[in-house]
Amino acid sequence: MRPFSHANAQTVHEASVQLSSGNAKAIAGGTDLLGTLKDNLLPIYPDKVVNLKAIKNLDYVKQEQSLLRIGSLTKLSAISEHPVIKEKYSALSQAAGSVATPHIRNMATIGGNLAQLPRCWYFRKADNRFNCIRKGGEECFAILGDNRYHSIFGGSRCADTPCMSQCPAGTNIPAYLEEIRKDNWDKAAEIFLSAHPFPMITGRVCAHFCQSACNRHQTDEGVLTGGVERALGDYILENSDKFYKKPTKETNKSVAVVGSGPAGLTAAYFLRRAGNKVTVYERMDCAGGMLRYAIPAYRLPKDIVEKIISILENMGIEFVLGHDFANGITPEKLEKEYDGVCYATGAWKRPIVGISGEELTVFGLDFLVEVRKWMDGKVGEEVLVVGGGNVAMDVAVTAKRLGARKVTLACVEPRERMPASSEEIARAEAEGIVIMPSWGPSKVIENNGVLNGMELKRCVSVVGDDGTFNPQYDENEQLVVSAQNILLAIGQRVDLSFLGDKYHLQLNERGLIDVDADSQRTSRPGVFAAGDATTGPATVVSAVSNGKKAADGLCLHLGISTQQDNPGGCASVTVDANGITCTTSLKLRELDINKRTLETEDSQTPGVQEAEKEAKRCLNCGCYAVSPSDIAPALIALNAQIVTHERTINAEDFFNAGVMTSTTLGFDEIITEIIIPALPDGAKSVFKKMALRKSIDFPIINFAIVTGSEPRISLGAVAPHPLRAMEAEQVLRGKTLDEKLAGQVGEAAVRDATPFESTKYKVQILKTLIKRALLELA
Amino acid sequence: MYTQESTRAAARGLIDAIPDVVEEFRCPICKKASASYDSLRRHYDECHQEDIPPMMVALTLNGRHTELLVPQHWSLQRALQFKLGLTGAKHMCDKGVCGSCTVIIDGSPALSCTTLVVECHGKDILTVEGIAADATWKPLVDAYCRWDAMQCGYCTPGFLVTAKALLDRNPNPTIEECNEALAGNICICGTYPRHATAIVEAALKIAEDSQAKGGAA
Repeated sequence: MRPFSHANAQTVHEASVQLSSGNAKAIAGGTDLLGTLKDNLLPIYPDKVVNLKAIKNLDYVKQEQSLLRIGSLTKLSAISEHPVIKEKYSALSQAAGSVATPHIRNMATIGGNLAQLPRCWYFRKADNRFNCIRKGGEECFAILGDNRYHSIFGGSRCADTPCMSQCPAGTNIPAYLEEIRKDNWDKAAEIFLSAHPFPMITGRVCAHFCQSACNRHQTDEGVLTGGVERALGDYILENSDKFYKKPTKETNKSVAVVGSGPAGLTAAYFLRRAGNKVTVYERMDCAGGMLRYAIPAYRLPKDIVEKIISILENMGIEFVLGHDFANGITPEKLEKEYDGVCYATGAWKRPIVGISGEELTVFGLDFLVEVRKWMDGKVGEEVLVVGGGNVAMDVAVTAKRLGARKVTLACVEPRERMPASSEEIARAEAEGIVIMPSWGPSKVIENNGVLNGMELKRCVSVVGDDGTFNPQYDENEQLVVSAQNILLAIGQRVDLSFLGDKYHLQLNERGLIDVDADSQRTSRPGVFAAGDATTGPATVVSAVSNGKKAADGLCLHLGISTQQDNPGGCASVTVDANGITCTTSLKLRELDINKRTLETEDSQTPGVQEAEKEAKRCLNCGCYAVSPSDIAPALIALNAQIVTHERTINAEDFFNAGVMTSTTLGFDEIITEIIIPALPDGAKSVFKKMALRKSIDFPIINFAIVTGSEPRISLGAVAPHPLRAMEAEQVLRGKTLDEKLAGQVGEAAVRDATPFESTKYKVQILKTLIKRALLELA
Repeated sequence: MYTQESTRAAARGLIDAIPDVVEEFRCPICKKASASYDSLRRHYDECHQEDIPPMMVALTLNGRHTELLVPQHWSLQRALQFKLGLTGAKHMCDKGVCGSCTVIIDGSPALSCTTLVVECHGKDILTVEGIAADATWKPLVDAYCRWDAMQCGYCTPGFLVTAKALLDRNPNPTIEECNEALAGNICICGTYPRHATAIVEAALKIAEDSQAKGGAA
């Protein structure tokens, strides 16, 4: 073991103080802790070990009136051999006597047994080889690994999954995937729409941070969440009446949303869902913002955007189109006439590069907006696009499909740092667009106002030491690209001049609307902002995310409670044992390169079967290790209370599969006593354990049963924490025990089991041993 | 050549060599000698603030009172082997599974690899050497030899200590009770069928011996 310092705590209070100061671990019998230290399997090695054994008066077994009280430092051998426990609480004596070996039972304490860490072999591999979810990592290696000793009743969601944490909208991805694989599409829709109103859009255009974060990548191919999302989105669109309903109650508050891009539409949706009267003001003739005007139809069909607008209108949202602030509406007026305002005006302004001849180039965004006009033959033989993001990719592909013979794309970033998503880069290259990374614009080459091309210079670094965008060039390395059109897609600026000089709205140092990160509140009361206007050009999903935050913030400001219900926020998680074995992910069906156009979608939405099959590949990341304690099910069946120096907890509520813990104890909380009530008259108790060897081994399954008028059955080693088999208890209650009933109890206990392929054997064993145990008691 | 007598004498020698007190307080890091434990601690405070100083542990070992100067993270097994030359308690699995490191602490068999030596302060410890040196237990050793309850011999000390602890609390065990008591001792060579028989035979002989001495069994 690596060195640590050792301290004896004289009292429980002293021990608790030592544990809360710095990096310390408590030692009782040492049969769990020392093993973890020798194998160095904890993420952080403790500096100090605090010995609890010096604390007096915690080692006892007392009968006080009808209660049995056991001190937490009582050895398991003393408990298993105690005459009162053997006679009256047999399940506990049998459980204590089944633990490990006689030597260990002489050293181990009941408190330590309850608080022991998981025994999963991935958790226990030396040197923290597998930094799994229970240690604060992200992955459960047992799901696709060797899980023969693991849970048959699903896993425990101990922490947010990487897909959820990477989604800017925080969509509960594993929850809706779980519903889809059970064929509950409506429930999946409900879960999704509570976070994000437009899966049919992000299913098509999102950068899918969730997909890159998927834990399956470590093993084979990640789940194509975007494909499933798209199928769900189209289902929602087809049944929009069911999902986008008018609110049941009106709040009689009115809100103006300025801008109808994804941020504005999302804010409008959630504000309307809460019952407010919502009016959306839009500068252009059609609503949708970037969705309608900038993202090309081959990625996001315009009829989908139109359908969404009409859905929102049916919810009661009013759209005022073609309305510019020049035409009489002022920010002051909006503030006066509405109870709240939300600015979601986006980032549409062309940035100035500062190279000579710049006036001959075209702003990429204008190009996309006016693409129809460009179809009248304005695109030349050779087109150069400058920029490395998704907008640049859209511009380049659009130019190619308009008929340019050669499209070149140059950007200052090196290939691996290009902001565009890998899908969009792949799409561009598949269509023959030549990508030139690490080149920046030097000057436009023209002859009497006729554009001939651009001189590029080599970019040697993009980001300065302080992390800011500060491209450095090698002026000596240059080349010329010939082009009749140069389209600049190097970002967009936010234009807030429409607010006028007199309207004071605080901006941040980048000239964007300054907002509070949690509520999207601006410096003016009742005025909120969302989308690119607050972040600069970002993604559709981040616009959706802060659009929702702005709506929630506004509702809070208006005194309206937004029901933060979380349908699907369950702590217990399951997988499709068969479905997870599929190692290849869904691929979207795409048109051949030579069949692609500007008007039709390049890819198709997956069918229901395909989406369900892909959803079944989701590992539903959680911990699937089992609770290893033998004492735990006995205490739960005996309805014990566990006393700490801070509180008393029922044994049934005490166990919890959390990060670096198996209980609900605080990290400096110490068990002091276990209290067991007397069994009802005539009740008997039994504990059974099945392990590979009669001694030494941890349970494959174990359980405890207390009979009588209120039977209690608790199962261990089959789930991340011990379970009460409520249904089995009901089968047993009030009936005479015979062989048939004993069999039925066993079957009821395993009815909801969802084992992996390699843990199916546990189901049979548990069912049969329960039957046998009951017949022994009869 | 090894005989029981020579082995008993060697065990006695090891036990007699257990020091009463710590003679030398030498810093394990820089090898500087200090006159006492307190001055060694002051030396650590001055020169090795980042390191964890060793501790003094006083205990009774095989009947001898002794004091040890040990690192705070050492197991009892490691201290027995490296501070006292008592190699009977084996380093085998070192994780509390095999029982080869069994010793008796305050009368009950425990695993010295999973016991911190600093937590043995004030305790009464018996190792296999203590059993070897004590002629009272000759029948147990005889029975093990007669029944050939060993092959490579590595696990045998662990079995013997567990057996002695069993006989202390149950002088007349059944075969089943023997096997249950030995459930924490692993033998890779597979001598399991031999031990219970050897112990029951030893129990009978020990009872006979103590009756012969005129005391009650």
